[in-house]
Amino acid sequence: MGDGAILARAQSDGADNLVNADEPLAGLQLRCGGELPGMIAIPALLETVRKARSYGLKLARPILANDGQDVITAWVEVEPLAAPEEGCKIILRHWQAAPLAPEDLAEAGSRRAAIDRTVAELSARLDAAQCLLAAESEASDLTELIAAMRAGTGRPWTDFVQIEGDHHRQPLHWRLLDGAVVRVPGSDRSWRATLLPQETPGSEPSGFELLLCADVPLASAALLALQGAESAQPTNTPGLVGREMATVLRQPIARIIANAETIRTRLAGPLAEEYSRYAADIAAAGQHLLALVEDISDLEVVEAEDFSTAPDRIDLADVARRAAGILGVRAQERGITIDAPKLGESLPAIAEFRRVLQVLLNLVGNAIRYSPANSQVWIRLEGEGSRSRVIVADQGPGLSADQQARVFEKFERLGRSDESGSGLGLYISRRLARAMGGELTVESAPGQGARFTLGVPADLLASAPNPAR
Amino acid sequence: MIQNAAHAIADVPVQAALRDWLSAGDALVGTIAPILRHLLANDDHSVFSDEIIARVRGMMVHVATQLLDEVAAASGQPEQRNHSAKAIQTLVQGFVADAGFLNHTHALALEWQLTERLQSRLALDPVLSPLLQSLVASPEPETASLAMALLAAQARFSQTQQRMQLPLAELPGDLLHASLLVMRHCAGEDEGSQSNAASAEAVIRSRFEEGRSRLGLISRLVMGMGGGAVAALSVSHAGIGIFLSALALASGQDREMAVLATNEGQLVRLGLALCAAGLSPVAVEEEFTVIHSDASLPQGLDRLSANQAAALLACSAAFPGN
Repeated sequence: MGDGAILARAQSDGADNLVNADEPLAGLQLRCGGELPGMIAIPALLETVRKARSYGLKLARPILANDGQDVITAWVEVEPLAAPEEGCKIILRHWQAAPLAPEDLAEAGSRRAAIDRTVAELSARLDAAQCLLAAESEASDLTELIAAMRAGTGRPWTDFVQIEGDHHRQPLHWRLLDGAVVRVPGSDRSWRATLLPQETPGSEPSGFELLLCADVPLASAALLALQGAESAQPTNTPGLVGREMATVLRQPIARIIANAETIRTRLAGPLAEEYSRYAADIAAAGQHLLALVEDISDLEVVEAEDFSTAPDRIDLADVARRAAGILGVRAQERGITIDAPKLGESLPAIAEFRRVLQVLLNLVGNAIRYSPANSQVWIRLEGEGSRSRVIVADQGPGLSADQQARVFEKFERLGRSDESGSGLGLYISRRLARAMGGELTVESAPGQGARFTLGVPADLLASAPNPAR
Repeated sequence: MIQNAAHAIADVPVQAALRDWLSAGDALVGTIAPILRHLLANDDHSVFSDEIIARVRGMMVHVATQLLDEVAAASGQPEQRNHSAKAIQTLVQGFVADAGFLNHTHALALEWQLTERLQSRLALDPVLSPLLQSLVASPEPETASLAMALLAAQARFSQTQQRMQLPLAELPGDLLHASLLVMRHCAGEDEGSQSNAASAEAVIRSRFEEGRSRLGLISRLVMGMGGGAVAALSVSHAGIGIFLSALALASGQDREMAVLATNEGQLVRLGLALCAAGLSPVAVEEEFTVIHSDASLPQGLDRLSANQAAALLACSAAFPGN
């Protein structure tokens, strides 16, 4: 068993903290709500590591994880180091992600209710006509509302808040109000209302529990105010492809790809070379179709009028390193070296981590795709005043002035007819950059390679010398 | 008066002990009928056939013997191979008390029974299946060498099953750990036997590598096939061993449960597991017929989606975590 197929290595310590990890394990750890370094957040991995450490045995088994979007099956080998307090060496060999099965509606509903009850900052009891009976809250920005509600017992709850985007006479049927975004006098935060009916079988609800959940906790609301960013959550109705179609389409396409892969690798028996190649074509076309579905559903999200991002304080160097890590294997296949910011470099910025990573994956992915084999791709950082920039430069064929003008347009493929892209990547990336208060630009000349620059607001608080320190 | 009271106090523990014995006997009496009914009503394919019981016992005795061999080696007598029947029996009793151990050995015995049945009915090679053959011939050296290792492991499995044996290296990590705890518990009181047991344990632990066991190799190969793992979900193509692991992985069940699902009393579980693994209705029926030549597919399975089947399975009391 050679080291040939090792996808990632990681290391844990004696308290089962993940000390370091390569992609894609590092990303999964973060998506599972963990930190790096930090306690292993992937339950199946934690169990295996704990067992290996306490048994003192080399374990190797498949683990199943769920990052909220995909079900991930991976093969891990865990070897405890000499002393139990030293932790374990973790090797990841295989990695498969399949879209999560749609949940049972009733189950999802009851879990949502449980979550809302836990995080709600205001809870109230309503009668059958949605009139207030009692209200309770401890949030400091809701004191005004609570006082008004207590004074106005017996009136519909909708009198005290402002339902966004709705000017009908309130209250509407409770199903229409459940999940509505509301504005509360005295609070800068955006709130979501949840109505949980007191069910009496066979008849109308006899009363309701009203919960108001804020989209951000009070502390980070202050941070958002500091950045002067709009914090309204996207409440757009999904378009044609949207989330629903995309989920429905993903499964059959994934199946086409899986079956074509079976034929291509001749796992079901001997097959003539040509047929194996046809199957490879089918698999590749399937992958392309899957990527298209993803792009189009992204497109609808970014084109929605109320699309906004959730800015946070991030380190562009870290995002850049992560993008390089994720695409490292693909680059290696083509003999391309990615020169990413070194460990220790950092460039604080204010943007949404996930979105910046999405843009960088697109830029670096393009650079790998259109560069000659055995070339280099550079990712450089530049901080200048109120802007933080990431630059992705390649040694590809470059773009003419005319092409540069068109490259960010929707469905623009610059005359390429191969099956490698949708012509949406750069369009979506630029929309994302702008939604974060930034910009995505290109400089290039034919034969000189291309330089794409993503600029986002700098995190001046983090980069300014702090006299208190 | 005083004498009577003392008499009553002395009586209490005796009576309590007798009551305990009696209630243990009650439990046995209560289980006689269902067990006897089961044994009489079922033929050789039963989950409790004489052969299965003998095989489970044989494997446990073998594990116990290997542990005692290691202890003998640790005490400087590596040629000592005659262990007292009592020492073996004490260890076996410890294994029997462990539900995980019972399930695993029982599943192995059932797997072997199915392997032999399909060999005689469909001439299915117990060691080298068509899938394993194509994996051995794979152009990727990594896959080919893994497949070769599995081929050897599968041959070893056939041989040990025929001898009703179970090598320590083939145990899943958790069960090896459990059996070592039993060994530690059963070691003699004196310091010498304690330290011999401890050093034998250290040797066994350091030698163990789960990824090299037959089951480890199978799941690693199946995982490595990625999307192609669909090919492993065919009994006649993949062979029983690989098929069962692939079925367990794809339907989210323990491998032991996947093995049990192939038994005659679990037709619905098998149908649901095949559905949940994502096979098309036609393929589900095909695999079902390979395993049960004379039973028909439970009604209504063809109307279930993979997700619905998986949800039904997950509701079953025997599902891990329920």
